Amino acid sequence: MTTKTHQEKKPYRGVSLYCYAEELGFTMTMEDCFADMYDMGATGLEILANGHIENYPNPTDEWLENWFSLLKKYEIEPVEYGHWVDSRLVPGQQLSTKDSYDMLVKDIKLASKLGFSVMRTKLGVVDEILTPVPNWQEFIEMALPVAEEYNVKMCPELHQPTPLKSAMVDEYVEFIERTGTKHFGLNIDFGVFQSPEGRLQIPGVDNPPSAPEDMIALLPYTYACHAKFTHMTEDFIDPTHPYDEIIKILIQEKWDGCLLSEYEGGNRSVPGYTSDQLRKQHVMMRRLLGEI
Amino acid sequence: MLEQSIIQLRGFRNIHDGGKITGFQIPVRLNYYRGIWLSQLRPAQVTVDGHTYTENEICWNIGGNIYTQQELCHRSDVHWNNLDVATLIINKDGGLIPGLHEVEVYYQFSASYLPPRIDLNFFSRPDSRKMVLVR
Repeated sequence: MTTKTHQEKKPYRGVSLYCYAEELGFTMTMEDCFADMYDMGATGLEILANGHIENYPNPTDEWLENWFSLLKKYEIEPVEYGHWVDSRLVPGQQLSTKDSYDMLVKDIKLASKLGFSVMRTKLGVVDEILTPVPNWQEFIEMALPVAEEYNVKMCPELHQPTPLKSAMVDEYVEFIERTGTKHFGLNIDFGVFQSPEGRLQIPGVDNPPSAPEDMIALLPYTYACHAKFTHMTEDFIDPTHPYDEIIKILIQEKWDGCLLSEYEGGNRSVPGYTSDQLRKQHVMMRRLLGEI
Repeated sequence: MLEQSIIQLRGFRNIHDGGKITGFQIPVRLNYYRGIWLSQLRPAQVTVDGHTYTENEICWNIGGNIYTQQELCHRSDVHWNNLDVATLIINKDGGLIPGLHEVEVYYQFSASYLPPRIDLNFFSRPDSRKMVLVR
């Protein structure tokens, strides 16, 4: 689906269904979430595969038919498919390179079948600062031809406490440059820019905010972003994430990917609370994107 | 639709096999925003009215199939979706008497993208609920 905003080489708006984690299945259906998105004109969608796909990893034909019919009805584009390489799948072992590859391939095929073009590839980690498993380059590289065949991009998420300027991010960029791949990239979670008072407190780990301009060098490899927020005020301000600067840079750099809202604040199990917070964030984003 | 508490009410009853009651069952949800493979799940502990059941006194019914607790770590091929309710089956001749019961359930599961220190305990939490059993 090509929308006007795509043609203008500007970011466009979407929602991760992660936002609704404490309502979807409790007080809301997936269709309710899509109806919310339609109200907001949020056309890009992220799902979490092993949560939102009934009978994952083998959805029924009936489920698939309903999926495509809902996307059409609410004018939604499947953007990002959240999935995991569960390195501690079996207790006491680290998942082998071959088994990690098999897990990736299964998700690449399903993501493509559902119409997704980007995958949020969550890797297993080995320490407090979220260093990925030592064999990540091996199984990702093995999976690159499959990702190319199915036309999807695998993207680890850059999330606090990992700063954008760090050895880990450098390693991802070196991998992309070494392989020359267009099928592995990055998802920047805007929580990396969150001001000190709202940040994760991790014993023994510094967790300083990154600067929005640190994104610039990474944007050529960035295929989706998580528009993280934890609270929107009544006057449509996010007090802890510098959205003015973030979106200004994205526009200036002509980045045209999807901003997928991720609400991670309080009251998520209160019916309607998340929807209200999302609407406020999307008023802010519309303003900053020059839509209103 | 799911209830917010991990222990779900619908499905709480004795297990009737012919004329006999062989145990009771407690439906539970996964306290997580995504599903897991069964090998990521750790054995559950159930306490009813102060009596604790563990290990082979409990089986899991997930997606209509029954798994022993010892079997879980070998079933990396079976997925439990977080929007689906699983049922704990507790073997107990005669089951529970009709009436009010104080039910506690605790199980953990692994999340590989979290630091190993908090792998099992970041999302997992014990739950307790006063539950009425009718039959």
